[in-house]
Amino acid sequence: MTNIRQEWFSNIRSDLLAGLVVALALIPEAIAFSIIAGVDPRVGLYASFCIAVVIAFAGGRPGMISAATGAMALLMVTLVREHGLQYLFAATVLTGVLQIIAGWIRLGELMRFVSRSVVTGFVNALAILIFMAQLPELIDVPYAVYVMAGAGLAIIYGLPYVTRMVPSPLVAIVLLTAVSIYFGIDVRTVGDMGDLPSTLPVFLVPDIPLNLETLQIVLPYAATLMVVGLLESLMTATIVDDLTDTSSNKSRECVGQGVANIASGFLGGMAGCAMIGQSVINVKSGGRGRLSTLSAGIFLLLLLLFFSDWVRQIPMAALVAVMVMVSIGTFNWDSIRNLRTHPRSSSVVMVATVIVTVATHDLAQGVLSGVLLSGFFFAHKVGRILIVKSQSGDEGRLRTYTVLGQVFFASADRFNQSFDYKEVIEKVRIDVSRAHFWDITAVSALDKVVLKFRREGADVEVIGLNEASATMVDRFALHDKAETDDLLLPH
Amino acid sequence: MNQPKKILACVDQSPYADYVADYSAWAARRFSLPLELLHIIDRHPEIATSDDHSGAIGFDAQENLLNRLTEEEGQRSREIRERGRVFLNGLKQRCERAGTDDVDIRQRYGQLLDTLDEQQRDVALYVLGRRGRSAAHTQRDLGRHVESISRKIQRPILTVASEFSEPKSLLVAYDGKRMTRGCITLIAGNAALADLPVHVVMSGKQTNESEKQLHWATETLVLGGFSVETAYLPGDPEQQIMRVLNDREIDILVMGAYSQSPLRSLFFGSKTNDLLRASRVPTVTVHL
Repeated sequence: MTNIRQEWFSNIRSDLLAGLVVALALIPEAIAFSIIAGVDPRVGLYASFCIAVVIAFAGGRPGMISAATGAMALLMVTLVREHGLQYLFAATVLTGVLQIIAGWIRLGELMRFVSRSVVTGFVNALAILIFMAQLPELIDVPYAVYVMAGAGLAIIYGLPYVTRMVPSPLVAIVLLTAVSIYFGIDVRTVGDMGDLPSTLPVFLVPDIPLNLETLQIVLPYAATLMVVGLLESLMTATIVDDLTDTSSNKSRECVGQGVANIASGFLGGMAGCAMIGQSVINVKSGGRGRLSTLSAGIFLLLLLLFFSDWVRQIPMAALVAVMVMVSIGTFNWDSIRNLRTHPRSSSVVMVATVIVTVATHDLAQGVLSGVLLSGFFFAHKVGRILIVKSQSGDEGRLRTYTVLGQVFFASADRFNQSFDYKEVIEKVRIDVSRAHFWDITAVSALDKVVLKFRREGADVEVIGLNEASATMVDRFALHDKAETDDLLLPH
Repeated sequence: MNQPKKILACVDQSPYADYVADYSAWAARRFSLPLELLHIIDRHPEIATSDDHSGAIGFDAQENLLNRLTEEEGQRSREIRERGRVFLNGLKQRCERAGTDDVDIRQRYGQLLDTLDEQQRDVALYVLGRRGRSAAHTQRDLGRHVESISRKIQRPILTVASEFSEPKSLLVAYDGKRMTRGCITLIAGNAALADLPVHVVMSGKQTNESEKQLHWATETLVLGGFSVETAYLPGDPEQQIMRVLNDREIDILVMGAYSQSPLRSLFFGSKTNDLLRASRVPTVTVHL
């Protein structure tokens, strides 16, 4: 009970106002990316409404904004082009189902493998994608469009210096629309882009054959949509967590995203997820509770239903200005400044994530390459923690090698090269009791070393192999807890 | 086993704070235990204070917002902390003027119940106001925390509702059941209270068993060095106890608290709550 009161009704006034401000930032993204996905703006706008309303109840992060997003829309382009709208609805529903399963099996915990640099790369790539999506509206268009977009940006960033009582994007949209109507300026407007919602969304079952072939078409798209949706949602949740100094339920968020997407698919909307820029706007405007998300969705639909004749006449240039703002606000500008100061490897990971994403328009691939790269760099670094000391004994008959540190696939070669096979010696003792053998590669590297010495005619004795290979047992943490304290340090 | 160590007085910024401070100071002197005045600060991250409706995000929007929110919240926390410190210091001086020297003050973030529960091990007696800061603008005549705290905390809790007057006698509302027997043992074991006459009052139906119980109580207390007066008053327990409290000008009521399950209390009402509402006398409740 206290929880419901706290999450819904402890911040009513600020939540409602923030919801209104956010609704204005949802419309341009839904419209712009519907067009890019190749569907009517109606599809994106219905999706934004459904997702925002459902996630307000089902989500795990109060105050986060979810709706139809660019990141998701970019993944649908070929599906819509090759198979049509009905398959998009089906993919959306399937995405939801997969996300619910992901929530149940706590897939969100895999997020810990996504490093800070990958997150930064993701955010930057997203901002770049949002910006690039505006380019079609800015290339090969009348001169007036540039003036209007520029004026829009000037209002959006200038007005807050005068007053912070009204949303400056709203003022920009209203003023630009008024000007274009009054002077009859011939620029593209929202109405030119396709159907807008004219009624409340209605329930519909995607009109597709329910067979294996359909599944084969839809599943790859749904799988990618699931991954990207959850990635962006969980990252945004972390951002909102940090901003508000509160915690969120990540598994519930995954399931909530799934429920929202299923609802969207059945109500004629496309798949969506959490939005970084809009969530920041929400928190900035004072939105904290679930009411802010709900009201954003409801205001969005009310605006479209009651002011549809006006919405139709909004020049695209005004929406471009708003989206450029979202893209600027989403981009992590610090990361550019940090390129010089941060470790080279983390910069490489960040930039690689951005490049792969922008090249493929697929954030999942970008994140995957980022994660792989950071894993690679990590293995490389840890592999350098390996020391082999040697000491002769028994009046020159014996040589003792003491191995300290980590032996695994990335350091096995170095391990091999640390022994002097040319030495003429009677007996070799290898003490690995203070080393850690992490995988099969390490054990076979040791085998090779032993064989090599034997071939030179030396007796080989290995000490402490049991201790060293304890780390190979996959669940060694359960196996011996006290040991793990200084696992990465030489004993 | 760890011996209980201190008297913990919970105060919020209401008129009840003075009463709580006075009674806890008295208890600290009586039992020669250190006193800690605790002020709990609720944090409300779910409430925003922003009046920025511009909805524009520019360069470094996230970082700027994070810095701004951190700065604002830090500012607010500092103010609350400072106000709480001054308030607690005032109470501390009040206690010291009353002759209690060993007084510590502490402010903590968190929920009241959890914070009190965490400290159980080190506390001999909790002292709280029967109502709190919200008393002025709510109709409740018993603070909503009292019951939940009493149910959770397994230490005696002194709840006060009126101005301090030096306690001169005790009344134990006795029913012979486990919790009130616990009260008797507790009092009998406290030599520091031996100069206060103890009234043991039973009411309800009289049976052989109850007579035996009353006898046991008297014996236990006399053995502890107390002067005891017992009374058997048939009729409605609440009315009878109230009557004795008024007639004999008793200063402290001791009773077992909330022996019924929460569900039963919901349907049949709780005798503990009735008594806490009806009397203005400081009351020690024991929930074992």
